[in-house]
Amino acid sequence: MNAARRFAPRVALLLVAIVAILLPVLEPNPASINVAVFTMMYVGLASAWNIMGGYTGYISLGHAGFFGLGAYTLGLGVAHLGIGPGYGPFALVPLAGLLTGLFALPIGWIALRTRAATFVIVTIAVMFMLQLAAMNLIGLTGGTGGLSLPVPRWSGDFYNTPFYYAMLILASLTIAVSWWIRRSKFGLGLLAIRDDEDKAMAVGVPTRQFKLAAFVISAALVGMIGGVYAYYVTYVYPEFVIDPLTGISMVLMAFLGGLGTLTGPVLGALLVEPAQLSLAYNFGASRLYLVFYSGVFLVVILLLPRGIVPSVRDLTIGWWTRGGPGRAAGPSPGPSTPAPGNVVAP
Amino acid sequence: MRRPLLTLFAAFGLILTACGSSSSPTQAGPITIGVSLSLTGDFSSDGKALQQGYDLWAADVNARGGLLGHHVNMKYVDDASSVQQVQTNYQNLITVDRVNLVFGPFSSKLTIPASTVVDRYSYAFPEPAGGGPDVFKRGLRSIFFVQPAAVEDNLVSYTKWILSLSPRPATVAYATEDDPFTQPQVDKAKALLDAAGVTSVYYKTYSSEPIDWTPYAQAVAHSQADVVILGTQLPDALAFVKYFISHQYNPKTIIETTGPDQGADFSGKLGANTEGIMVPAGWTAAATAYGNDTFVSKFIAKFGGKASDISADAAEAYSVGQVVDQAASKANSIENAKLIDALHSGTYNTVQGPMSFDSTGKPQGGVGVYIEQWQGGEPVFAYPSSVAKKPPEYPKPAWH
Amino acid sequence: MASQLLQAAVLGVLTGGVYALMASGLTLIFGVMRIINVGQGALVILGAYLSFVLFNTWHIDPFLGLLVTMPAMFLIGVVLELVFIRPLKTDRESLSVLVTYALALGIEGVLGFVFTANYRELSVWYDTASVPLFGFRITLVYVFGFALCLAILGALFLVLYRTTFGAAIRATMLNRTAAQLIGIDVEGVSAVAFGIGMATAAAGGAVFGITTAFNPNSHYDLISRLLTVIVLGGLGSLRGAVVAALIMLVTQDVASVIIAPEWSAFVFFVILVAVLLVRPQGLYGVRVRERI
Repeated sequence: MNAARRFAPRVALLLVAIVAILLPVLEPNPASINVAVFTMMYVGLASAWNIMGGYTGYISLGHAGFFGLGAYTLGLGVAHLGIGPGYGPFALVPLAGLLTGLFALPIGWIALRTRAATFVIVTIAVMFMLQLAAMNLIGLTGGTGGLSLPVPRWSGDFYNTPFYYAMLILASLTIAVSWWIRRSKFGLGLLAIRDDEDKAMAVGVPTRQFKLAAFVISAALVGMIGGVYAYYVTYVYPEFVIDPLTGISMVLMAFLGGLGTLTGPVLGALLVEPAQLSLAYNFGASRLYLVFYSGVFLVVILLLPRGIVPSVRDLTIGWWTRGGPGRAAGPSPGPSTPAPGNVVAP
Repeated sequence: MRRPLLTLFAAFGLILTACGSSSSPTQAGPITIGVSLSLTGDFSSDGKALQQGYDLWAADVNARGGLLGHHVNMKYVDDASSVQQVQTNYQNLITVDRVNLVFGPFSSKLTIPASTVVDRYSYAFPEPAGGGPDVFKRGLRSIFFVQPAAVEDNLVSYTKWILSLSPRPATVAYATEDDPFTQPQVDKAKALLDAAGVTSVYYKTYSSEPIDWTPYAQAVAHSQADVVILGTQLPDALAFVKYFISHQYNPKTIIETTGPDQGADFSGKLGANTEGIMVPAGWTAAATAYGNDTFVSKFIAKFGGKASDISADAAEAYSVGQVVDQAASKANSIENAKLIDALHSGTYNTVQGPMSFDSTGKPQGGVGVYIEQWQGGEPVFAYPSSVAKKPPEYPKPAWH
Repeated sequence: MASQLLQAAVLGVLTGGVYALMASGLTLIFGVMRIINVGQGALVILGAYLSFVLFNTWHIDPFLGLLVTMPAMFLIGVVLELVFIRPLKTDRESLSVLVTYALALGIEGVLGFVFTANYRELSVWYDTASVPLFGFRITLVYVFGFALCLAILGALFLVLYRTTFGAAIRATMLNRTAAQLIGIDVEGVSAVAFGIGMATAAAGGAVFGITTAFNPNSHYDLISRLLTVIVLGGLGSLRGAVVAALIMLVTQDVASVIIAPEWSAFVFFVILVAVLLVRPQGLYGVRVRERI
């Protein structure tokens, strides 16, 4: 049984990886791959957001601003460096992450002078200001007239595939970073901040530096994903790359799956994004899915405030402890780690 | 155990193939035309007007026995005026719903991203409302802008009229949305009037995401220009005029790129104050172009209202259908590749007048765009005199 | 230039009054319940639509219609508090942000469903009528709106500072636990405070709807401004919200003349950053230890 417990997750992981890698072969319809591109994008976004929002408990509703920064970095980089269509623009994705991270540094420094409530407000304000800047710096960004990127002359059947792999790589990178943080001393510090910031400071956690680092890492990852998105849609408009709904979507997915867990945001994105896309296509893109988002959100927060993964884990842990001798959890969260959002585990 | 499974698969495969082949048009089978429309979001009033035009054309063509004998079904999906959604929509229409043809959405802003997707699948993309210069910059062979002239020339006849006035107005104020549709028109008008020595006293580009237009309206009013040229869509078109009314600023003439052409949506908010306001228009309910009288009467029969309530968007959408109808007859095919070839040559008659397309899909040598002016509660062609129903009112009467 | 500046300043004061009213509800809710109601913008828009319905269907003047919409929104507020806010027992501050955001999305979606995303306006006679003032003209609607907001704000301050119930609210704002200990029905006070916040949203919405074209997603722009206003004023300070709204709007309108209209909205951002650097608790805020 112990062996099964040890290997089951690895086998599952391997299977998921194989399916993810082979997906364009298994389901070659471009429309399906389009769904996969956006789903993978949100797997990455929700996981990246979780590094700040989930681990430290500081909720940012403005990460869409960083998404837009990455999109503009890639778009402007391609234009100014004269990179043609093809695989070239993907090389600028790390640059998008770097610049977004650099930009997030002063924002984080200012925003993190305050505690949670004001921090939320500042992130919202920053997002709208970034959007406003993108609209008004017409000479740089093209304003609301938009910024166009080169279009690869790939055939319709193949076109989406490279973008799918780009999103897959970024999502995997984000999950890996998240996993590494979770296991590191840095991650322990972040969780301590979430549980009680004053206590964390008292025991010597450099809270400001830790929070800022988490914020910058989270923003940089989101920026890279924004860069790939810009190339995928080939047009950057301020109101679409810096869209408050993108910001709230990642939060919703992280919450649904389980705030502060590694797999929660992934699961949340896998559940919500395909449903959202299908709703948008079949029933109109704005009205119904807003109500759908709103409903899912309210249900999750009021009835399942810790999200799916922690709730299910508690159930299975209960089952395991009943079914066999109790087993001390490693670094993975069990009842010993307080669940997200200060909810005391029963 | 294996074999029955295999048989099952084979049977399933057969069914799939059967379905596949039945969906491709056999002679005289029904066909589906897919369109992504902004049924919600910023462009929703235009999106709905386009839908009326498309629906009317489909009903028309079906009454006449269909498009080359194929009964036409329209499939609309909503893009909520979103760039990401418009791309996804055309991709799904083509690869999932396997529509036979696609028609265009509203606005240059959505047409540009949509056109790259449609082109990728080698579909023809006749479109009613994406005419900004950026639409043609990509050099796509598959796109066709079904309006009488490229958008940046829309205000050219207005500038000609201004320059023909005597005494000539001395000053102009320009304000335009930063939008691929409106700004090129205003910039071209400014270049022409600047060259002719009409002084520009105010020029401003503002974000097309509406926040508040008051400061811009205030600045225009403050300039006290004789001529006001505005690159607007409906909401700001109304906001500017309202501000001018409340601050009793009476320019001698005022033209707005869009808004005044939207029938009741415009006049309903301004009442008698529409008098004298101008708009560039390729179409008016009163025009005598090909099939226009039938279009107008059928439109009223189907959707109610009166002729002056019909939005130009509906006529533009209807024209798309007319163009495709003629191209299909000419090519004797509804295959996209043949339609694309056909559309690159020849002249097509529409309710907006005759038009042809160059290699990038820009309309060529069409009748051009005229000036429409609100007079006595009706929009009427006022310039040039060759088409004018009534002479232009100048100066515009003071606000009520 | 001078006349334009004066005009901008006057307009800033008048619109500042409207923002003061909308922000006062937001800051009151924070003060009493320690939650940030991100849905306030959407509720203002809801208020605008309610006025729009009354005006378009029964030709009821939006100001007169407040006699209906304010009580209605008060009730909606109480219900929302009971159903969605009260169940949040732990970590209210973070979770309430998300709950109210979700409510905003839901309201936006439903409004979009019912009214479509077309821009609506309340075309009352006084939105194009104007009066001369210091050599320029001021649209009447701003004057009426300002007067209305002053009246409602005045009433709100009267209730807070001259009634027993107001004392209960203020006590709860000062210290929730202590208020509970001296026998104040803190939960009841919270519900009523949320209701009052909604009633101010109804009034703000009516004025907003007359002065500005709106559609269901107008709330994003509004909420980011309102939040900035209450941070500047100091979270939970009514007086702060009023003063901050006036400062913000006057500065914005003046900047729009001096610099350029499109950058005027940045005034909010610049002021916000300055506040956070110099005085994170805001003008009238006290440095409370926020529970995270």
